[in-house]
Order: sequence, then C-alpha cells, then structure tokens
Amino acid sequence: MVAMEAKGWIGASVPRREDARHLLGQGVFAGDVTAPGMLELAFWRSPVAHGRIGAVTRPAGVFGAGEIGPVTLLPAGPDMPGFRQAPYPPLADGVVRFVGQPVLAALAATRGAAEDLCARCEVEIAPLPAFADVPAALAPGAAVLHPGWADNRYGSGHVKAGDVAGLDAPIRIRRKLGLGRQSAAPMEPRALIAVPDRRTGELVLHISSQGPHVLRHALAAMLGLPESRLRVVAPDVGGGFGAKNRLMPEEVVACALALKLDRPIRWVEDRREHLMAGAQAREHLYDLTLHATRDGIALGIEGELWVDAGAYALWPTGAFAEAGMAARNLGGPYGIAHLDVRHHTVATTKPPMGPYRGVGRTGACFAIERLMDALADEVGVSRYEIRRRNLIAKLPHVTAAGMTLDTGDYPAALEACVGMLDLPALEARRAAGERVGVGFAIYTEQSGHGTAEWAGRKARVVPGHETATLRMHPDGSLTLLTAIHNHGQGLETTLAQIVAEELGLHPEAIAVRHGDTGLSPFGFGTFASRSLVFAGGAAKAAAEMLGAKLRRIAAHFLQADLALVELRGGRAWAGAASLPLVDLAHAATMRQERLPPGEPPGLEATADYCPPEDAGVFSYGVHAAVVRVDAETGAVALEDYCVAEDCGTMINPMIVDGQVKGGVVQGIGTALTEELRFDAEAQPLSTTFADYRLPDAPSLPEIRVLHLVTPARCTVHGAKGVGEGGAIAPPAAIASAVEQALGLGMVVTATPVTPRRVLSVLP
Amino acid sequence: MIPAPFTLRRTADWDALPALLEDALPLGGGQSLMPLLALRLAEPAALVPLRDLPGLSEIAERDGALWIGAGVTHARIEDGIGPVPLREWLSLVASGIAYRPVRNLGTLGGSLALHDPASDWPVALLALGASAVLRQGDMRRVLLVEKFCTGAFATALQPGEVIEAVTIPIPATGTRFGWCKLAPAPGAFAEALAGVLHAPGAAPRIAVASPAGARLMPEAPPPDDPHLARLRDVAIRRAGA
Amino acid sequence: MTRLCVNGETHDLACEDRDSLAGVLRDRLGLTATRIGCQHGSCGACNLLLDGVPVRGCLVPVALAEGQAVTTLEGLRDDPVMIRLREAFTAHHALQCGYCTAGMLVAARDLILRGRATSAAEVRAGLAGQLCRCTGYDGIVAAVLQAAQ
Repeated sequence: MVAMEAKGWIGASVPRREDARHLLGQGVFAGDVTAPGMLELAFWRSPVAHGRIGAVTRPAGVFGAGEIGPVTLLPAGPDMPGFRQAPYPPLADGVVRFVGQPVLAALAATRGAAEDLCARCEVEIAPLPAFADVPAALAPGAAVLHPGWADNRYGSGHVKAGDVAGLDAPIRIRRKLGLGRQSAAPMEPRALIAVPDRRTGELVLHISSQGPHVLRHALAAMLGLPESRLRVVAPDVGGGFGAKNRLMPEEVVACALALKLDRPIRWVEDRREHLMAGAQAREHLYDLTLHATRDGIALGIEGELWVDAGAYALWPTGAFAEAGMAARNLGGPYGIAHLDVRHHTVATTKPPMGPYRGVGRTGACFAIERLMDALADEVGVSRYEIRRRNLIAKLPHVTAAGMTLDTGDYPAALEACVGMLDLPALEARRAAGERVGVGFAIYTEQSGHGTAEWAGRKARVVPGHETATLRMHPDGSLTLLTAIHNHGQGLETTLAQIVAEELGLHPEAIAVRHGDTGLSPFGFGTFASRSLVFAGGAAKAAAEMLGAKLRRIAAHFLQADLALVELRGGRAWAGAASLPLVDLAHAATMRQERLPPGEPPGLEATADYCPPEDAGVFSYGVHAAVVRVDAETGAVALEDYCVAEDCGTMINPMIVDGQVKGGVVQGIGTALTEELRFDAEAQPLSTTFADYRLPDAPSLPEIRVLHLVTPARCTVHGAKGVGEGGAIAPPAAIASAVEQALGLGMVVTATPVTPRRVLSVLP
Repeated sequence: MIPAPFTLRRTADWDALPALLEDALPLGGGQSLMPLLALRLAEPAALVPLRDLPGLSEIAERDGALWIGAGVTHARIEDGIGPVPLREWLSLVASGIAYRPVRNLGTLGGSLALHDPASDWPVALLALGASAVLRQGDMRRVLLVEKFCTGAFATALQPGEVIEAVTIPIPATGTRFGWCKLAPAPGAFAEALAGVLHAPGAAPRIAVASPAGARLMPEAPPPDDPHLARLRDVAIRRAGA
Repeated sequence: MTRLCVNGETHDLACEDRDSLAGVLRDRLGLTATRIGCQHGSCGACNLLLDGVPVRGCLVPVALAEGQAVTTLEGLRDDPVMIRLREAFTAHHALQCGYCTAGMLVAARDLILRGRATSAAEVRAGLAGQLCRCTGYDGIVAAVLQAAQ
C-alpha cells in the first residue's frame, strides 16, 4: 500500500490514473471485446425520410421486425398524460420515419459480409410526406407522423412567472433566433457485444454507455428478462457527451438476436451511422420579446420556443427536458422576474433527439445573451455595461422559473473575465481598421440536481441518489465500487482523491471500479454534470463509515480513547502509538476473534447519497471570445478565448481545466462549424467528418481559464458540477464578437456562424 | 462501412496493365478511392495497385521540365523536390492537401486522375503549364493538363491507360507563382482554388477550380452558388492575379 | 495468404482483399491500440506507421502492407520519443477518454522527429486532421512541445 501525505488531496492536481493504459493503447473499449462464435451485425436503414414499407426481399441471415424475438416497447418521454407517445421500434414496423432508421438486421461472420447481405435486400417503400423542420411539421394541414396525433407536437409547456403583459415596459425587443442541429460525435462511435453466458444464464452486454444500470433496466423490460439475468458492462468509453445515455434500437436488436440464436452478437457503429442515426441535439427555434427599461434593465421575456425532437422519443425522457430547460433557463444570470414562455417539442422526419452537453441551456444562453446584446444596442451602452447592469448581484437568488442560484459572485466573474483581456489594445486595432471584436456571454450550469428537480420535470427515471461501496480487503488494499461512469472525466482519479482524503491514504491505494452492473450497487451513471457531486458524496460517506469502523478497531488495539484515534499515512494513530491499517483489515476479515467485543466482522461500507439541495448547485462563468473576421470570405478566426468560471471547490484543478476547455471547444463547434444539415426531403447532408466538421487544433487559440472558487453550501467539499458549462456560452460570445468585428448591431441570429451567414449579414 | 468485395490484382508489368484494367479501377495511394469504396459509392470488382510499376516514383529534370512520377506522394513533394523556385511552389500546394498521414500515401497521379473539382493538384498543375504523361503498355502520349482535365471527375484517360508522370516546365527566371486555397479548415476540401503563374513579359496564367473541374480563366464556368463565386474572385485576387 | 510484419513479428493471415490494415490488426491480431473513428481518413484515430511513416490504417488495404514494416502504438512502447510523449501527455492532461490518444501520439511523434514541433502554432498546424473531442487540444499542444525539447 502506498502511504504518503495524510491530508491535502482535495484541490491537488493529481495526475490521472486513467492515462497510463490509454497511453500504451491498452484501454479496452466495447468494440475491442470479442467472443468465440461471434456474429457481426449490420443494419439495412431507411433511404427515405418517411414512407410505408411494402414488399421485402432479403437473403437468409437478415431479420425484420417481428423476427428478432419478443420485444415490448416502452413508453418514453416525460411521465405525464399530455405527452404524446411515439415508441421507437427496434426495427421499423410498417412505417419508416427518418433516413437511417433501422429496418432490417443482417448477421454474418464479418461486418463486411453483413453489409453485403444488406446490399442484397430490396425493400419497397411508398413515400409519405417528409417534414424537414419545425415550420414544415407545424404547417397547417401537414400530415401527422404518428397515428392518433392531432398535430406534430409531442407536447407543449408553459413557463409563467410574474406578469410580462402588465409590465408596460418602454423597450420591447423581438427576435427570432435558432441553433443548428448537432451530433455529440464522441470519437468512439457506439459499440456493443452481447454475449450469452451459459454458466450463469446471464446475457452479458458490453456496451459503450454512460449509464449501464439504467440501460439494463430498460433492456430487461423490453426483452422480458429479469434484470438478474442481464449484466451490462460499460468498459472504457470513448466519450459520451450525452450521446450514449439513451436506449437505442441497435442494442435491443443485438440482445434479442443473441438470445434468439444463443450466440455472441457484435455491432460497431460506423461514423456514417452515428451522424445519420445516432441521437441528435440542439436545433432550437425561438421567437422572443425582451421587455426592458430605458436604462437597459431587462424585466421580462415572453414568447415561444420550439425544439426539433425528430421522429421518436428516446427512452427514458426523450428530448422533453430540452424545451422545458431552455424555457426555464431563459433568464440566465440576470434578475429577470417576469417570464411567459410557451415551449413546444416537435416531431419531424429526422433522427430522434437526445441529450448533449449543455442540454437546453446552450440554446437558452444564446437566446438571452443575444437579446441582451440587442438591448445594449437599443439603449446605447456597451455590451459589457448591459451585463454589468443586469447581473444578479447577490446570491442566493430564486429565479423567475423557481431555480435557486446558490452561491457565487456573478459581477466579480464578469470583472475577472474582462481583466483577462487587453480591451484598449483591441480597440486600437479596431480603430486602425482591423476587423476584430470581442463578445461576452454568461451562463449558469445547474449541476448535481436531485429528486425534486427531476420529479418536477416528470422524468421517468429520477436520478436523485447514488450509491457507493467501499471495501477494504484483508491485505488493507481498497476498492471503491460506483455506478457512475468515467469516460474522460477523470473520476477514477478524483473519487480516489476523495476517499484518500477521508482515510488518510494515498489515492493510489484505492482502486475504483465502475461501469458494471455485476460489480457495483445500482446507480444512474454519468450525465447532467452530476457524478462528482453524487458519486463523490456517496464515496465520502462510505469512506466515513469505513473510517469510523477502522478507528473503533484501532482504539481497541491501541487501548486508546476512540476520540483520539486518527487515520494518517496508512496507519491508525493514537498519540505517538500507531498501527498499520493492514493489521486492522486482517483482524476484521481473517481474525475476527481479535475484534473488540460486539464489533461485527468485515470492512465494507455501502453508502447512499442524496444531495441536500435538490434543485442542484449552480456553477457559472463568463466567456469572452476575440475574433478576427475576413469580410471578403466571411471566415471567422478565433484569436483568443477567455473563461472566468466558478464551479465551487475543485477536487482536482487540472481535471477541471480539462473539462472547461473541452466543453468550450465543443461550444466553439456549435458556434462556428458543426451542423447536421438536411435537404427539403429530410435527406441528411452531413454524414461524414468531411461534411460535419469538428474543430481541430489549427483553428483554435489556447483557451485561457481563470477560476473563482465559491464553495457550494452542502455538497462534498463544496464542489459543483463542471462537465457541461464550457459548452453553453461559446455560441453567444462568438456571435457577439463577430458583430463587433464587423461594426454591426445584433444581426447574427443563428448558429453555426458560417462564412455564408457572416456574408449574409453584411450590409 | 466496409467496401463491397473486390480483388486486388498486383502487377509490376506495364504491358500487363491494360488487360488487368479492363474491368478494374487503378489504385494510386488510395486516399480518395478507399473512402469512396468504404461508403460503397463505387463498387469495382477489382483494383489494380499501380505502385509496383517501374519508374512510377521517379523524379528527374529532363528537357527543361521537372518529371514527377505519378506515384510520388504529396508528402515527398511537400518536403521538397526539384529546383527552386518550383520546389517551394509545389511544397506550398502539397502542404495544404488533407493531413500529413494522408499525404504520406496520397499521390500526385492519383489526385490528377480522379480530378475531383475541389482538389488541389489539377488547378495547380494547370496554372504551372504542366502536362500529363499517359501510358498504355509501352505506348505514351503527353497531354497538357488543360486537355487532360475534361470535366469534373472526368479526364482524357482511355481505357487501360494510366498517368505515368507529370511534367512541369522549369519556369523562366523572374517567374512568380501565386496560390490561394479557401477552405473551411486547414486540409479540408477547397471551396475556392486559384493558381496564378506570372512569367516575365507574359500575361498571367490563371487557373481555378470550377464546376467543370480545373480550368483556365476566363473560360472557367462560374460556380452556380453566389457564395462560391464570390470566394473564387477573392481567391484569384489573393493568388496575385 | 497475406504476410504481415507487425511490430517485428511476422504473421500469415487469410484476409479478404477489401480488409483494411486497421481492421485486420484489431480483429485478427488483437492489436486494438489502433482505433477506428471514421473509416474515411478524417479523424486520425487509426494512425500507424508503415515503414516508419504515419498513415491512416483505415485507408490501407491490408494486402498493400505486405513487404512493409507495420508499427502500431503497441510496438512503440520503448521508443524514446514515445516515452517522453507519454510523460508529457500525463503531465499536461492531454487525454480524457483516451480514444484518439494512440493516433494522436503517432502523429505527434512524427512532428517531433521531423522537427515540426518548435512552437505552439507549428504543433497546432501539424495536428490538423487529428480530432480530439474531449480536451480542446491545449494539453496536447503543450505536451508535444514539452516532449520535443
């Protein structure tokens, strides 16, 4: 056992233990797993956006709907009566509703041979009307996509607070705004292998997933299996960002066929499939009016927003959180007391929408920040000044939508971000004719939210708790078992830091295992910036329980007062006397006759954790983008990008920086390059990385990050979530910077801000 | 995303090549062709790799021109071949093509033979007044690039014929070359391409990417898309015309 | 039979002509460090060395690798540049999920060996087409600069 510094692991930039295996190429991703007798799966996918399936001709080895064994479809979307159901069949049953929808499943010894089988399939499809966007889907007289629906809305909601209509505000600014459609595009596409285990009778599914326990629950229900007979293992996962946190048809088909044929079945998504049929994201439309005073004080927002949720609702919650969250977050970090916003989740003949880093808030931030820029222009103050006037000055603050912004200092973050820039130098360049500009955007990031928040959203799965088991083995080594998942967030390192801090050990002494329903207690997985708060809380609680027991045993061995015993450096101390923990572990497991009277054997603690602040804790930050625009070509070059953010106590600042920077660059993709485009017949136009362009190193400046630290009131060590925030603000900041560079008012209303869009707004 | 089945027919014999190509596609570095096959946008029964053919990687100065074998990779050109200033010009063009690991296999001849209207070499070679040396068995013919590039994804290659080399006239002293590629990101396919050769005492020779492939101005048809048309004008100006 | 020389070992394998080198390394030889991210040459996750030169493993028909030395990340364990890169990648938090890492390391090593890692701008330019979805690239750039010294 490694024993080093007893205290001080919280706030230390401990190098990540995850790195070594990846740097040697020894990580194991789901697509690396094989099994004897394995068959490879490929899908024949719909070539049209909407149509009725007729005659099907196919070779042996190809399965259609109804031929993969019994499957029960699950209701999906919020658990509320008004939300219309659109169950997503694993294989299309009669009707196809987007290009790329799985229709037939082909099995062969190799993926190439399975694709050959698909190439020999012939499927007659009688075309039905396609709706490629929200206006088309909601046009009067549009056909409905799902039987029994009155129109093409899954549902609508209304966020109302105060009295916008009664404000009689002197300034009203109405704008239509929109975000493009995106793919989360983790570098590892989805992958899975379903392996029947004849010894245990389990079906073992290795899958690239953010939440294996919840996935198991749904899959078992669909397949009619007891959960005890389905083990879901998420090994190394090559990025998720939300895209691997919904039940998808491919895993249902693979598992059903593995059960039916009693053979291992592997499916590895290719990039075209990911961009064509994976969960998609963003695509919001807004029609909003900001009400404000002549001093530029924003008072209220009214209007509507629409989310293009695609053809089906993905289990469990579909994309409904998207619209509701966008509406509730429209006030941003500003003290806007009046909200009257209707939101609509709309079905189109496009792939289903799932969550993506920043869910709802990237759109909401774009909308409110664009409106604030318009307000600044209207009242004739700078875009910095308009924010200074409107930021909530004192926390905690309950927003119009009822969210409690808990701790921090928003104006201080704005000043800190401004302080990172040399604004006079920028102004001098502008004066000299250079087309450079700076834009600001401010966000809040709800994180670590619990039961009341999720239940309030009518979620079908309420991730309000997380459980950890900490086990000390007879030799004194430790294993932490957790049900969150680590796919880049460094949680194997940070959770070990938290346990190490509690038990006076080096983090290396603690193995962290996750991602396997066969190993850990039930839990929800990693999403919604929740894992450090939830799993950290559970790990700390388990470590406290185990530590208490170790101290009791040590007090007995050392003949000392329990209150005097402390754990430090791998030993239990009472004054100058000490014992190695291994002696306590050995006694508790192998030699229980040595334990104090009444002390039960074993050294294992399982703790459940529910965060005390159900509504979550709010990280926040101010982003500043500096751009240079080529007015001839419309090209936008990012010169500088600054972030002043506060995510509470940082367990590992190096990892926090990585989360912030990675999020920012995804947001830069939203802002400038990434868009899943479709033609009028809803044919996808962005199905390779040549067409769907992720940011790469030459196009980016260094992302400069400054941390303000205001601990949360109740979370473990005062930490808040930090995964998503970086991805929220960049579109708003960059749009604003482009306008300043061109000397224009608020004219950029949609993302991505491509050269075409830039040139289209030039006078 | 696996190509449909094909067979590879290896040969190192120029005389055997035409027969092998009867129902097959020639394979240069494969950096454009293999993605097309993986997407099953093309399903040839067979591919004939050209890289074993003798002389295909040769680089030499002959008769006042630089001879570059069709199998010479973008990376080798990027790292410098031929005499200054051609050396720098060619390196500049090569370094903007895709990414280094792609340039390590992608070839000059493959790029010219595919004649993707958004690709770099056809435009650059056209500007430089280059010719393609075409070979079928032991028969050779030499075509100026403006004759070779007949349309987007179309060339003057006859069945059984492949590019053996490209020859580029060594520029007269004082000649200048300008090159502008406008692309969404470094290495991406171009939205506009222009190459300009200024020889002393001669009018500038301006080559651009067009819907009909690489063409000389002013004959090059304009892009249908006004945005791309605008970018092309910018590229021509920035290339120094 | 296709005869491959991979990381110094010779293998005779029955392959289809359409099989890619990256696919065969992964599925037939279990050398899974070579990752597949796009299968069209745009992401760089499958970078490996052919006669010491980085190429996209997904774009090489396996039969065309015959007669050339194939080196994957597994074969670079003791490479002195790679040892420095590994240390620097950890120190600068240059990886998160780890999926792009092998391809990134192969590309970075090549930049260093060609003397193209002398400034942040040069490293960024040299990493064009090497996609990482997690880190935002800053850590990678810093790590390559450090390892190049």
